[in-house]
Amino acid sequence: MSRRATPFVLLGLLFSALPATSHSFENTAIVRTVDLGGSLVHVTTTFAAKSLEQDASVYTIALGEEEVDRTSWLDVKVKGQPDDLKMSIEYDPQSQMNLLDVTLPKALSLNSTITIVLETIQTHATWAWPEAAAQGDGQALKYKTDLLVPSPYKTHVQRTKLKSQSPNIISYTTPKHLDAFIQEGGPVTKSGATVTYGPYHGIPPSTAEDFLTSIQQSVVVHYSYDYPVLEVLKLRRAAEISHWGANLNIQDEISLHNAGPTLKGHFSRLEHQTQSYFKRPAAHVLPSLTLHLPAGIRNMYYYDLIGNVSTSHLRVPPSAKKATRAQYSVFEMKPRYPLMGGWNYSFTLGWDSPLENSASWDSAGGKYTVEIPIMTPIVGAVVNDAEVKVILPEGATDVKFAVPFPTVSNTLSTHITYLDTTGRPALTFKYKNLTDKHALSIYVSYRVPLSAHLKKPIAVAAGFFSLFTFALFARRIDLTISKKGKNVS
Amino acid sequence: MPAAYPLPTNVSPATVANTASLLRIIALALISGAAIASRLFAVINFESIIHEFDPWFNFRATKVLASEGFYAFYNWFDASAWYPLGRVVGGTVYPGLMATSSVFYNILHALNLPVDIRNICVLLAPGFSALTAWATYMFTKEMKDASAGLLAAAFIGIVPGYISRSVAGSYDNEAIAIFLLMFTFFCWIKALKLGSALFGTVAAVFYFYMVAAWGGYVFITNMIPLHALVLILMGRFTSRLYVAYSSWYAIGTLASMQVPFVGFQPVRTSEHMVALGVFGLLQIVAFAQLIRSYLSSKQFQNLLFYSVVTTGILGTFVFVGLTYKGWIAPWTGRFYSLWDTGYAKKYIPIIASVSEHQPTAWPSFFMDLQLLIFLFPAGVILCFRELRDEHVFVIIYAVMASYFAGVMVRLMLTLTPCVCVASAVAFSSLLDTYIDPAEPDVPRNPQNGGNTTLEDVVAAATANTTKPGARSAPKGIFGLDTRMIIIFNAFGMLAFFVFHCTWVTSNAYSSPSVVLASSNPDGSQHIIDDYREAYYWLRQNTPETAVVMSWWDYGYQIAGMADRPTLVDNNTWNNTHIATVGKAMASPEEIAYPILRKHDVDYVLIIFGGLIGYSGDDINKFLWMVRIAQGVWPDEIQEPNYFTPQGEYRIDERASNAMKNSLMYKMTYHRFAELFGGSGQAVDRVRNQQVPKVGPTLDYLDEAFTSENWIVRIYQVKKEDDLGRDLKSANAFSQGKKRKRSKPVSKRRAIV
Repeated sequence: MSRRATPFVLLGLLFSALPATSHSFENTAIVRTVDLGGSLVHVTTTFAAKSLEQDASVYTIALGEEEVDRTSWLDVKVKGQPDDLKMSIEYDPQSQMNLLDVTLPKALSLNSTITIVLETIQTHATWAWPEAAAQGDGQALKYKTDLLVPSPYKTHVQRTKLKSQSPNIISYTTPKHLDAFIQEGGPVTKSGATVTYGPYHGIPPSTAEDFLTSIQQSVVVHYSYDYPVLEVLKLRRAAEISHWGANLNIQDEISLHNAGPTLKGHFSRLEHQTQSYFKRPAAHVLPSLTLHLPAGIRNMYYYDLIGNVSTSHLRVPPSAKKATRAQYSVFEMKPRYPLMGGWNYSFTLGWDSPLENSASWDSAGGKYTVEIPIMTPIVGAVVNDAEVKVILPEGATDVKFAVPFPTVSNTLSTHITYLDTTGRPALTFKYKNLTDKHALSIYVSYRVPLSAHLKKPIAVAAGFFSLFTFALFARRIDLTISKKGKNVS
Repeated sequence: MPAAYPLPTNVSPATVANTASLLRIIALALISGAAIASRLFAVINFESIIHEFDPWFNFRATKVLASEGFYAFYNWFDASAWYPLGRVVGGTVYPGLMATSSVFYNILHALNLPVDIRNICVLLAPGFSALTAWATYMFTKEMKDASAGLLAAAFIGIVPGYISRSVAGSYDNEAIAIFLLMFTFFCWIKALKLGSALFGTVAAVFYFYMVAAWGGYVFITNMIPLHALVLILMGRFTSRLYVAYSSWYAIGTLASMQVPFVGFQPVRTSEHMVALGVFGLLQIVAFAQLIRSYLSSKQFQNLLFYSVVTTGILGTFVFVGLTYKGWIAPWTGRFYSLWDTGYAKKYIPIIASVSEHQPTAWPSFFMDLQLLIFLFPAGVILCFRELRDEHVFVIIYAVMASYFAGVMVRLMLTLTPCVCVASAVAFSSLLDTYIDPAEPDVPRNPQNGGNTTLEDVVAAATANTTKPGARSAPKGIFGLDTRMIIIFNAFGMLAFFVFHCTWVTSNAYSSPSVVLASSNPDGSQHIIDDYREAYYWLRQNTPETAVVMSWWDYGYQIAGMADRPTLVDNNTWNNTHIATVGKAMASPEEIAYPILRKHDVDYVLIIFGGLIGYSGDDINKFLWMVRIAQGVWPDEIQEPNYFTPQGEYRIDERASNAMKNSLMYKMTYHRFAELFGGSGQAVDRVRNQQVPKVGPTLDYLDEAFTSENWIVRIYQVKKEDDLGRDLKSANAFSQGKKRKRSKPVSKRRAIV
């Protein structure tokens, strides 16, 4: 398992944390940057903290309830260091906050400072406004968030930046009743594509009783977004390992949904062709999609419920040695019809790849280890429900697996396919709300005895042998009742 | 005996027999391989996809059968077809094809070979064509010998007349029916030759399979009795014939009545009466034979005379009486159209509107059969030479099938096996004659010591012509060169035949018609996939209960690919319902709208080829819609109204008013002119006519989807206006057009 990637999903982490003491730290500055997107919103919060006691080793981050519901991926680092910090989460009913206790790499002495970076990705956080758009209209989304970053500690100064990709910000909330915290300027400023709330000074801890009721408020920003808002409603990946074919087959069944503003009125091909002729495609239309598949794949297929989809291109570089692993195949797919707002499109995508690219053999333990990628990221799309099924070779025993982040559930079943006699063990992993940060790999290790390898040829040979034996006897058995019965007229 | 070339003499007969048997097996295997391979053009050029129209229904039914089992299929009421009537599928379908595929499907899945049901359906026809080749081999072997059988198998394996109905993906009843036809005939011949009840029963079992598989089983039902009847009339009644026919008819008829769609037809309809009549006649003849063996010939003659007269009169009365009482159904319209080619056009336009029900054009005989078409008569004549019982069968078959193939294009299919058999007999006789090394004995001229001079030959020739039969000159083939010329020629023809078959198969018969192909500027293939684009859009983005109206040609495809209820489909059982659709398409919007609303239509789907020049579109089929609607509503729809006063079928400025106002015309050309910038250059490339600069406007429907090349256009039917206005004025209001009034009303202040 690579130690590099141990990110974290909030579900499933339940062990109790150390009691948070609200006096061990104070925040000298909090800066939150929100990259406004479509399905995914990337939030980076930087906490500059100063220790108020000797040997402070646990820093607590507070997260609002709504924020926890939206967050699908989260990690905490010390600024400038690559390693993730250990953490645990607990709900605090008194402040109605989830408290995230982060164990610092080393205990801090009195008055020393540290900068902690919290990165989260929120899904389903934006919504289209207006909710329906005609074919030629632009696309605008709304995003709502809390004005102040909650923290159990006192904060000297904090600000929130909302960055949009397009400079066209239609409107934003101007917060009120904040005079106590503002030293100069207004409560909010906008420059270009960025809306900045703050700086606000002297924010009390969010555990204080009146924080939620009188100080905290929510702000909404309405911005235009130039790319289609994509959601994968369901992703079903099946990865089948074959040792006889030295092959790893991966097949994705994807149902794609355009979650942008729904199409107002009807689709007009004329308008669509005019738009693409003048190269002014509408923001909320998805005419085609580019996916990055592994290098060296073969027998790629792309079809849907009624057959092959012929409008696609694939460019495959040869599978490279480990040093130049960055290469990938480019798959340009065009759905059967341009995906307008609110439309669905489901399809199946699959390919074969050489097993040696993703499997290794441990001769000491006699085990194979195979790396199965959880998903092929579709840029900017969220995967609502994902199911990854890893089908191991027939007769595989001693199956162990390591997942990069906790699953919703995983099960072991039996899968029967071509030329199987007893069936293959299959592992099924289920996930929710995956983002491109989750495009990591599951590692499965197993042992295949020689007898299991030989099962297939023996089964096929036995089948043919019994057929020939039957034919041998059938031709030699005489079933006529009387020998002279023939040719009597 | 002199020989043209030496034959090895030191080979034991057992070795020859074994080698020949091995060669036969190899040849049959290769023929099967060729038969399957030549049908795969469609899969290689396109993909593994179900073709055309009817196969889509068969495919859908097979999926139901494979997933839900036979009884569920039997009781399947398809509520989504013929909305709102529905269709009792289990009772109105020949289930043989679906049952065959689902048996294959279940066997393969039981063997842990999870083959996709679609691939089984796509490859069923090529697989059965290999079996057809084998059945034809067996049949022809009974006619002549094994070598003729091999030739016949090779012919039927690649002949375009059969390939046209059995390419991969053409998942239709004919795919398995031709094999069943040939095998039933083989069993019948075998039963007749041996007088075997076993083969009679086998023939009956395959006859049952055929009945379950294809409506064309009536051909067997009439061919076998006809053969028996002709044999009786030729005075060839034997106990073998009696045994074979009785066992086939009794078991076959009882078995065929088990198919729900056939039911009691074998005893109640006119098409089946020949078989029943011949069965009765055989009993009488057999009884007469029995009596004759006990009576003197004088007594017998009297008895025979009176009994024949009485039975004849009685039989006719009974038949007429039963028909009159309605116990025997009279001939159906489809049957009449076999005798009178103009019948369908007059009385049942729905049958005439199908292209495969048209009379066959002469070139298509050559296209489908090539060299076989002129070998065929030779083969039939060779059958007369020997005229055993089975040769009589081929002669009758040839006569009947030739007639039917001339009447209807699709019946070319039943002619093809017979042509292959007869041609193989002819061709193999030719090869037998010229490959045989035996030369006739030449009386040696003692003076010249064996060297024949020119004078001798001339003398011999003149003597022969002047006085035929006076001197028995040796007839036969001399030398190797004469043989080589003929054989070389014959094989050359065969080679051309192979090229022709390959060319026709790949160019004419391997297009799925769901997917169209054109080529890019760089020569690579470009797929035009508009049908599936639109069907998939319907499937993914409309409610599952949305009713789609289209012309009946596309009903099965919509049900299969879009999975939506349709008003009419290719199972054209309800003429009125189809005429209703035709009327809606041919009427102006105001008249069509109530029809659409009453049938809960949500979407209307039409095909338009004018942008890319695809000729099989709805405007070209429009006249059939008009004709069929006219058959039911002659007062409201009249065909002449859709032509210009000059009698032309036009869609441009000069089109007739009925044409311009029809729903079909409006949907077809809605916003089409705007695609060309409204500059008046919008040309319909199918009709080669300029469409009017200002296109038609639609008030009661909305354009919902148009495919990439505009082939499929889907319109949504608007709901009634919320304020109770008619949609035309509601539309005018929302576009800001003022209603013209006689008095200007501007009394807004007075109200206050």
